[in-house]
Amino acid sequence: MVLLAGLAWAQVPLKVGVILPLSGASAVSGKAALNGIQLAADEVNTAGKVRLELVVVDDGTDPAKAVPAFTKLMTVDKVDIVIGGLASGVTFALSGPVKQYGPLFLAIGAASSVVEQAFEGYPLFFHYHPWDYHNVAAALQFFQYLSREHGAKRVAILYEDGPFGSAGIGVYKQQLEKLGYQVQAEPFKAGSGQFTAILTRFRAFAPDILYWIGYDVDALPIATQARQVGLRPKLIYGAPPSWPIGFEKNPLSNDIVGMTAWLPTVANAESRRFVEAYRKKYGEVTEEYMAPMGYTIVKSLALAAEKAGGTDKNRIAEALAGLKMPTPLGPLSFKPSDTGRTKYQGFGPEIWFQFQYLQGSRRPVFPKEVATRPLRYPGEYYLR
Amino acid sequence: MELLLQTLLNGLLLSGVYALVATGLALSLGVVGIVNFAHGEFLMMGAFLSYLLFAFRGLDPLLSLGLAFLAAFLVGGLTYQGLIRPVLKAPELNQMLLTFGLAILLQNLALLLFGADTRVVAPPYQATTLALGPFFLGAVPLGAFLLSLATLLLLQVFLSRSRLGLAMRAVAQNRQAPGLLGIEAERVYLLAFGLAAALAGVAGVMLSVMLYASPTVGFAFTLKSFAIVALAGLGNLKGVVPAAFVLALAEALVSTYLPGGGGLVEAVFFLVLFLALVGRAWREA
Repeated sequence: MVLLAGLAWAQVPLKVGVILPLSGASAVSGKAALNGIQLAADEVNTAGKVRLELVVVDDGTDPAKAVPAFTKLMTVDKVDIVIGGLASGVTFALSGPVKQYGPLFLAIGAASSVVEQAFEGYPLFFHYHPWDYHNVAAALQFFQYLSREHGAKRVAILYEDGPFGSAGIGVYKQQLEKLGYQVQAEPFKAGSGQFTAILTRFRAFAPDILYWIGYDVDALPIATQARQVGLRPKLIYGAPPSWPIGFEKNPLSNDIVGMTAWLPTVANAESRRFVEAYRKKYGEVTEEYMAPMGYTIVKSLALAAEKAGGTDKNRIAEALAGLKMPTPLGPLSFKPSDTGRTKYQGFGPEIWFQFQYLQGSRRPVFPKEVATRPLRYPGEYYLR
Repeated sequence: MELLLQTLLNGLLLSGVYALVATGLALSLGVVGIVNFAHGEFLMMGAFLSYLLFAFRGLDPLLSLGLAFLAAFLVGGLTYQGLIRPVLKAPELNQMLLTFGLAILLQNLALLLFGADTRVVAPPYQATTLALGPFFLGAVPLGAFLLSLATLLLLQVFLSRSRLGLAMRAVAQNRQAPGLLGIEAERVYLLAFGLAAALAGVAGVMLSVMLYASPTVGFAFTLKSFAIVALAGLGNLKGVVPAAFVLALAEALVSTYLPGGGGLVEAVFFLVLFLALVGRAWREA
């Protein structure tokens, strides 16, 4: 009895709000994130030092749904710590309520610099995911390599004309030109599926790289229609938030390159452990990097709570700020963001790497440290 | 010149699927007198059926065309009986709100069942390209164009040679007189609505190969179909094919020759719709 009482006393009970897109446009990433979060919570609770209680709400990938859901977490569930903020638009809308209620806010996604501006000066904001300028930096590093090692000179950019594709396209163009590229950029309407006209125009430009900034719905039409109009780039490169289901099984995906923060084949001990635990709990392996991101956030929170020795959000934040730990995505520690607007930035451009589709799977190809096979350049869409 | 001809070719190939989807809408509008905002969702069902049969049964989308036709016909028929028939005599605004609500319901049902993910099929001929001198033709868009034309031709034969088809045209022309001649308008409506859904379902299968299957794939086609039907003239089935060609060609020309035109593609049908309505108003004035 005394032993049991001692055990209960040693456990730090922690009620955590989780606000994720479990429906709407970002549901794929949201569900993957929740799987990672729940897996980590199980492990933490089994370890017994911290007892986590998760209160999960759906933000619907919609600011209008997210704000009331967040308010419920604050006023009804009375949580002091919130994990969430996956889609940038939703997180931006939550910035006001977060500042109003003052929880410890652990952001899992929200790459847009607009979010960084919105949370400027908020002392309990921990941003794990890289910012958009980190993404650009990682992509530019790859383009620099393509220019240096493969002599790539011309990039044709297809960008969707909404905020996701158009934000910063001018700066992006300039930076590519600074690397010595000739750039031709054209907007398109995401989901329209109509690329033949633009791709036909690109034919005269004869790009080495066809780079599209859009969503999963554009992946297959672009791969198909590039062939149909006789466009033969040496590399097709895409940066959608997620890829279409079944795309890897489609021969048209062969040699297409994209960017991600994690794949199950990543060779670090934490990642291998995560993959094994994930497979055991869910009976499958995920390729969504939001799963290990969610897992990492819970693990780091539990460790910080353990170090803080209590449930006070300010003391946990203090412990989190000084944390250094290995994760499936690489080493994690917090420092101020590049712009200095926010105090606690977790991962930077170093977590991004380039992968290439090859016969039904994605393989890391750049940078060299993580590559499991050499980049195929030119790809088969050029060689055919 | 070469670019212009390739653009015309792109527009021509695109017009086939447009015509197929819009013909369905023209049928429900012209015969049943219903503004069906859920028309694109029947297309979405066809796309998902094609994906499911391909993913779980390995069935080539070409082989699921017939099944999609029948399934969409059935769903269209049930929709008519359960939802449309009770509001046939209701004010038009009520009818529109009903079909708009149905569209949202079907989209969200698809979201619930399949999630928001985009799903793609991979038949072996998907990227096959035919080179005709300096011009390129995608085998799938060409096949979809020919298949659409063949389907529309069969529909034309049905409407002009069969008793049921003639009854449909009669009802489209005059809602009272056919009843006096013993034509059961109710049955004609049911058939027309089912047929409209079936045409959209077939188009959905084609689009699953050309684009993707997702809960929102049909919405853009609903809007485009309205533009085409308005351009052709309400209930004018014969005008749908040329109107579809005009819209597809306008889209192709805008995205080829206008700087940044790729982002304006979706605006073209609004412009076409606007010009068609204003033009008609001038003619009738």
